[in-house]
Amino acid sequence: MPTETIIQLKNIKRTYKLGDEVLNALDDVSFSVTKGEFMAITGPSGSGKSTLANVIGGLDTPNSGTVLIDGQDISQVRDSKLSGYRNEHIGFVFQSFNLQGHETALENVMMPMVFAHKKRKDRRARAKECLEAVGLGDRLKHKPSQLSGGQRQRVAIARALANNPSIIIADEPTGNLDSAKGLEIITLLKKLNKEQGITLLIITHDMSVAKLAGRVIEIHDGHLTERR
Amino acid sequence: MRLFDYIGIAFRNIWRQKLRSSLTIFAVVIGATSVTIMLALVTGAKSFFLSQVEANGTLQQVAISKDKGVTKYDDAQHGNGGPCADCTKLTDALVTKIEGVPHVVAVTRVANQGIFEAISYNGNKLRAQQLTAYDSNGVKTNTMLAGRDINDSDGVGVITITSDYADKFGFKNKYEQLIGKEVQLQTNGYYSGIGADVQPPPQCNGPCDNNNQNNQKPTVLTAKVVGIADTSSSDKTIRVSLTWIKGMELNRRYESTKADQLAQEAACKNVRGPCQPTQHMTLVTQDMLAENGYDSLIAKVDNSKNAKAAADAIKKFDVGAADASESVNQQLTIFNIIGLVLGGIGGIALFVAAIGVVNTMVMSILERTREIGVMRAVGAKRSTVRALFTFEAAMLGFLGGVVGVSIGFGLTRIANIFVNKQLASQGVKVHNIIGLPLWLILAVVGIGTLIGTLAGLYPAAHAAKLDPVEALRYE
Repeated sequence: MPTETIIQLKNIKRTYKLGDEVLNALDDVSFSVTKGEFMAITGPSGSGKSTLANVIGGLDTPNSGTVLIDGQDISQVRDSKLSGYRNEHIGFVFQSFNLQGHETALENVMMPMVFAHKKRKDRRARAKECLEAVGLGDRLKHKPSQLSGGQRQRVAIARALANNPSIIIADEPTGNLDSAKGLEIITLLKKLNKEQGITLLIITHDMSVAKLAGRVIEIHDGHLTERR
Repeated sequence: MRLFDYIGIAFRNIWRQKLRSSLTIFAVVIGATSVTIMLALVTGAKSFFLSQVEANGTLQQVAISKDKGVTKYDDAQHGNGGPCADCTKLTDALVTKIEGVPHVVAVTRVANQGIFEAISYNGNKLRAQQLTAYDSNGVKTNTMLAGRDINDSDGVGVITITSDYADKFGFKNKYEQLIGKEVQLQTNGYYSGIGADVQPPPQCNGPCDNNNQNNQKPTVLTAKVVGIADTSSSDKTIRVSLTWIKGMELNRRYESTKADQLAQEAACKNVRGPCQPTQHMTLVTQDMLAENGYDSLIAKVDNSKNAKAAADAIKKFDVGAADASESVNQQLTIFNIIGLVLGGIGGIALFVAAIGVVNTMVMSILERTREIGVMRAVGAKRSTVRALFTFEAAMLGFLGGVVGVSIGFGLTRIANIFVNKQLASQGVKVHNIIGLPLWLILAVVGIGTLIGTLAGLYPAAHAAKLDPVEALRYE
């Protein structure tokens, strides 16, 4: 299998100011990820793992260093370009699902495609396809409140898939689920990683989840250590 | 994002918060309704006024006053009855001269008589406004509801009255029946013109008060009604012929003339001791109209554009002359000011509504912070978020404007029904004067939308500035 680098981080620094104190969330972090990899990022709370995920996902910009995604530096680009990058390349899965409560599963999945200027008809078809891929083909018209936690996270995954992303970033995707449901979600993500070749980054402090990843990196106080 | 998506999302979000949205929209509705009604009233009044001006041909007229100090159309038109020091008498000779002024097509002579106290029909006595007489040469025209207008061949004892008098005489909607009937005009005690029974003063001893007018009893003149004029199209005046008014303006009285004095002296010639001769007095007639001239003249010009030039030319005869454009413009300015004031009141309501929109949007954005975070995460640009919320606020304003205009439209329709009835009862043939022109409808909807948009700018900018990471973490 040819190894093609999809994510390359060079000397990333991200600091926060908390009053007079300067917190180094990421301190000179460098690493790269190969296309199609399944990587877990672990570390204790406040270690900077979410910051790392946000920097890779284009939600946050580093103070210094470069973030190359498919060879393109996204670390200092303008909002509209960065938003376009998130829209096209990244699928986010959050711990608390972050679904729109007033919208149906189908509408939730359609949302990223709205910002991608896709036609209404195409959006609907693709959303249906994505929901079927996560096993919710029969729950299209359900609102999040009518779905279980596991089902909600599946809807969120379907939403992440909507624009055919090259990377899925899942920040504690199992945090709000029991271990059995959590495992199902990770299995689903892993399946998508394998079958569709989507690069998968899972942020977790749960070692049983991290265990399933092909590669694990750990963050402590903004410093990176490769576990495996 | 497509425009359709913006509309769809905005509608969905407004719908989501039905109560809050409808309350916010309601505030805009109140503002939009009041602006609509206020402006519709003013617009209606203005167009009604203009149509009247148009119908009367006022803009084609130059009013001429004997007093050259008179510079306003209305003042000149109403004339100056009494003598004045610096005046030029309005005579037939002057009329001929004015007729020779370029652009002047006709001149009518106007004489007014204010000596009448009452007009009565069949014992029903009404207060009479002044009588007016003028030439029937098309300069001043009236809309007749029944019968005919006064013409130049009419003499004494012929009259046209306005519909408001006819209504009060009980001939509402059956004006025809009053035609040919006789009405009585009652003068005050100073009247000594045609029809008055002028008596010589009683014999007196010593110095006599020769001013016999004080002894004159009020006179009742009888007149045949030949026409009923539309109140709104005339000057609300009772019209008689110039011939008759000339007779009314006669001042007749007994005076002790030179001949009388000689006769008295002759009677005492052969009397010894104190002599009390019989007073000799002669009835003298003074033609006041000839003496004072006409009250005013009205010249008609070929085109309203030439009215000003004609007025300037006529002023050279040492008279006051004014066209109506200034007066009309002045009145239009008054309408505009009223419009601004009333519109401003509605505007205040709209301003308050705008604050409501800001409040609603700020609250909404606070509640939807996480949603904004998600939108940003899945690829919404800052500009998209800003546009979305601005659009939503604009939609609140738009809906308020649409509902407000609709209510305003309905209310003006209802108001028109009542106004029409009222006007019809006064014999005015104008309908639906409270106008709601298309520009006003569009303007109010536009203003509503604009206010919504402006009110949405700050909250939307705030929403766009949110840090997506913070927004996603927001509880």
